[in-house]
Amino acid sequence: MHELGIAQSILDRMKEESIRHRGARATKVGVRIGELSGVDPDALSFGFQALSKDTPLEGATLEIDFRRRMQRCCACGCQFETAAMLTACPECGSQNTICIAGDELDIVFIELEDAACA
Amino acid sequence: MRVAVEQKVLNENQRLAGDLRQRFRHHDVFCLNLISSPGSGKTALLERTLEAMPKDTRVAVLTGDIQTENDARRLEHAGFPVRQITTGGTCHLDAKMITKALADWDLGWIDILFIENVGNLVCPSSYDLGEHAKIVLLSVTEGDDKPLKYPGIFTKSELCVINKIDLLPYVPFDIAAARDNARKVHPGMDLLEVSCTTRQGLEEWLAWIYRRQRKTAGVLAGP
Repeated sequence: MHELGIAQSILDRMKEESIRHRGARATKVGVRIGELSGVDPDALSFGFQALSKDTPLEGATLEIDFRRRMQRCCACGCQFETAAMLTACPECGSQNTICIAGDELDIVFIELEDAACA
Repeated sequence: MRVAVEQKVLNENQRLAGDLRQRFRHHDVFCLNLISSPGSGKTALLERTLEAMPKDTRVAVLTGDIQTENDARRLEHAGFPVRQITTGGTCHLDAKMITKALADWDLGWIDILFIENVGNLVCPSSYDLGEHAKIVLLSVTEGDDKPLKYPGIFTKSELCVINKIDLLPYVPFDIAAARDNARKVHPGMDLLEVSCTTRQGLEEWLAWIYRRQRKTAGVLAGP
């Protein structure tokens, strides 16, 4: 439900980057979303398209790098990627593991068209 | 041309939450963020909590809802400062709303600040409010598999409070399964069971708050 606000933040950041590059149109943005972030990729894509319609960013691509949860085992030290609810260590079986990644909600890169020559 | 950005989408929220955290530290305010589905009993738990606190406790509450001042009215009865934040449709509280709500409050007066988030298990998990700990409530009239369905908030919360345990004889809620599910999603998570009707478990809840507050104070004081 809050994906619209998140989509707007991404679009705002693209606009800012565009201004920084003398109005070069932003054509693509890469975001990293962890499965624990509370953001649904489909809803975010929908919001991104809906909000960019009839703006200079219409048609821009939203590339989503979806990340699974990562845990570190406190017993054997190994790190493993896992589904949200399976947190036991696959190496030693310990239940004592901690979450080290999976709640990402980051803008990774923005692609711009080459600015028109002044 | 590709520009590397590498920043949080909610950069502005993070910045404001960082400012809040710094202000809390400066004034020794211990802040808890309560999150649950609508109707799990966040307000009832806060009512019982405020009633149980000595009258000279320096405690305050910010309570969020989409509409109405009802929760603030309920909580004001205990005589502590309470402020309602109505979001007008937004499904979570963010750091800007907290900053605005605290603008004319003297943080030097507050030792414990409770923030009651908007009833929602998804969106509030994305917004840092500068709190020291998130607490998730789950009531026995909901499903015991809720931690598995909403792993984000159960992973980010230090404590899960299972509420309405007086209703256990009347509902199919399996409390052992709920505990297992919470710990599957978040190994080492603290768990408490309470009833705001019979007041069972409230002493343990208060003890948890004070223990956690001391832990924060210890960290602040340094080695």
